[in-house]
Amino acid sequence: MTGGALELVCPAGTPASLRAAVDAGADAIYLGFRDETNARNFPGLNFSRDELADGIKYAGSKGVKVLVAINTYPRAGNPGPWRAAVDDAARLGAWAVILADIGLLDYARQNHPDLRRHLSVQASAANAQAIKFYCDEFGVKRVVLPRVLTVDEIARINDAVEVETEVFAFGGMCVMAEGRCLLSSYATGESPNMNGVCSPAEHIHYEERDGQLVSRLGDFTINKFREGEPAGYPTLCKGRFRACSRDSYLFEEPVSLDVSNILPDLMKAGVTALKIEGRQRGKAYVAQVVSAFRRAVDAAARGEQPDTADLASITEGGQQSTGAYEKGWR
Amino acid sequence: MSQPGQRAPALSPVLLLGFALRPAPKPALQAAASLAMAALLRGHRSVFERLEGLANRDFLIDPVDLPFRFHLSAALPSPRLRILGEDEEPAAPVAATIKGSLPALIDLLEGRVDGDALFFSRALAVEGDMGAVVALRNAVDGADIALTEDLLRPLGPFGGPARGLLRAGGMLYRRAERDLETLRAALVAPVQRRCDSQEAKLRDLDETVANMPTRRRERQS
Repeated sequence: MTGGALELVCPAGTPASLRAAVDAGADAIYLGFRDETNARNFPGLNFSRDELADGIKYAGSKGVKVLVAINTYPRAGNPGPWRAAVDDAARLGAWAVILADIGLLDYARQNHPDLRRHLSVQASAANAQAIKFYCDEFGVKRVVLPRVLTVDEIARINDAVEVETEVFAFGGMCVMAEGRCLLSSYATGESPNMNGVCSPAEHIHYEERDGQLVSRLGDFTINKFREGEPAGYPTLCKGRFRACSRDSYLFEEPVSLDVSNILPDLMKAGVTALKIEGRQRGKAYVAQVVSAFRRAVDAAARGEQPDTADLASITEGGQQSTGAYEKGWR
Repeated sequence: MSQPGQRAPALSPVLLLGFALRPAPKPALQAAASLAMAALLRGHRSVFERLEGLANRDFLIDPVDLPFRFHLSAALPSPRLRILGEDEEPAAPVAATIKGSLPALIDLLEGRVDGDALFFSRALAVEGDMGAVVALRNAVDGADIALTEDLLRPLGPFGGPARGLLRAGGMLYRRAERDLETLRAALVAPVQRRCDSQEAKLRDLDETVANMPTRRRERQS
């Protein structure tokens, strides 16, 4: 594939966020149904079937596409809810479905051959051979790449495959091999892969102790934040733990991914689309990030250096990073 | 409002308003809260419907710059917002407590700020059942709440003058906010200068320690 203008794929956890993303300049919206068939199954979040129909209508009126994420793995013996989600996405006129499970990909290919199939990051397809398999066997049109690849590795993959690639551009920094991370399962019995939740809210506890904000996930203390210190999500991969008599972030600090300053490199690497993470975030966040990235993507397409410096206030831990795209530690 | 040992709220027009409201009779405040709740229910029933799966739909909302708190019972068909005095406990167990300045809480209610960003910056504090907090946040964020408009809508054509008054009030508020910030900066300036000086000394000390040969550092530690 060759470089060109990047498509901006934006999150929506509620109909209000969908309208905010469309109005802020999204090219496409991704969302999920209000159940465990998608990897953001948080209380009060996501779309009913009627809300999806209205959302597709609103987005369509502004020329914006809607993608439905059905990217958890069906439970053994009960594929019904996942298949119903695919059927309903097709019936309601979604532009594409984002899938991870090979059984569900096969179901979609056989029953809805005209419905565009994207491969979710949850499938963790991180090399050309894996991607080719999904394309050849299931007619996948786009692959969402895991957040563990460098720009050079992405370029090499794009040289080797014919399929579109989509990369994460802003928001949560998942440092694990997605779809295979069991940290949340270990602590709570629930995971993003099967239940659609990493660090389920009902297992999280915050308390003020000795002037510090203490966050716990299940029976594990994840972090202690000093007065005034920016806080982060209570995920195990971003916890601060004691090892060798020292408290430190063993895996990753609370930080948000931000690729705005490497957009030209991603274009050169042949990337088709940018994904903004944050279906669990509010509509104010969605509007702010989407409009900033709209300007950045348009600037990059004109050959200018993009800038999204004004997004610092909404980042996790008050920090931004280009993550694995520029692996300084190698 | 802050108690001994708790973090003090920022100097703001709301904090001053809180002092002014201290002598206000509770029934008058309760009437205003009930009016706001009725307007919310009328215009945004979906907020309460989205919470129907929760076992406990009671929340304690604590605006840290006001001398009272709110006990929100969000269960349909009759959600209620009760005013609680500073030392008064909710009549029923709450799922969670949400603390922040009144302007931050209103911004959150009207979807002008992102709840996670407020939490990361420590402008918002939450305790209790996070599932319930997340559900409430998502339900509120999913509705297009505009508190002033929701309250004035029943007034129909008579709402116009009230809107004008509120606009003028808003301008006065923003002016008072700027003036108070100037006052605050002037009051803390001497202390701030001392803090800056001590911080610079600490930086110098850090640098000195970092530049010491490793063995000497180990011997001294």
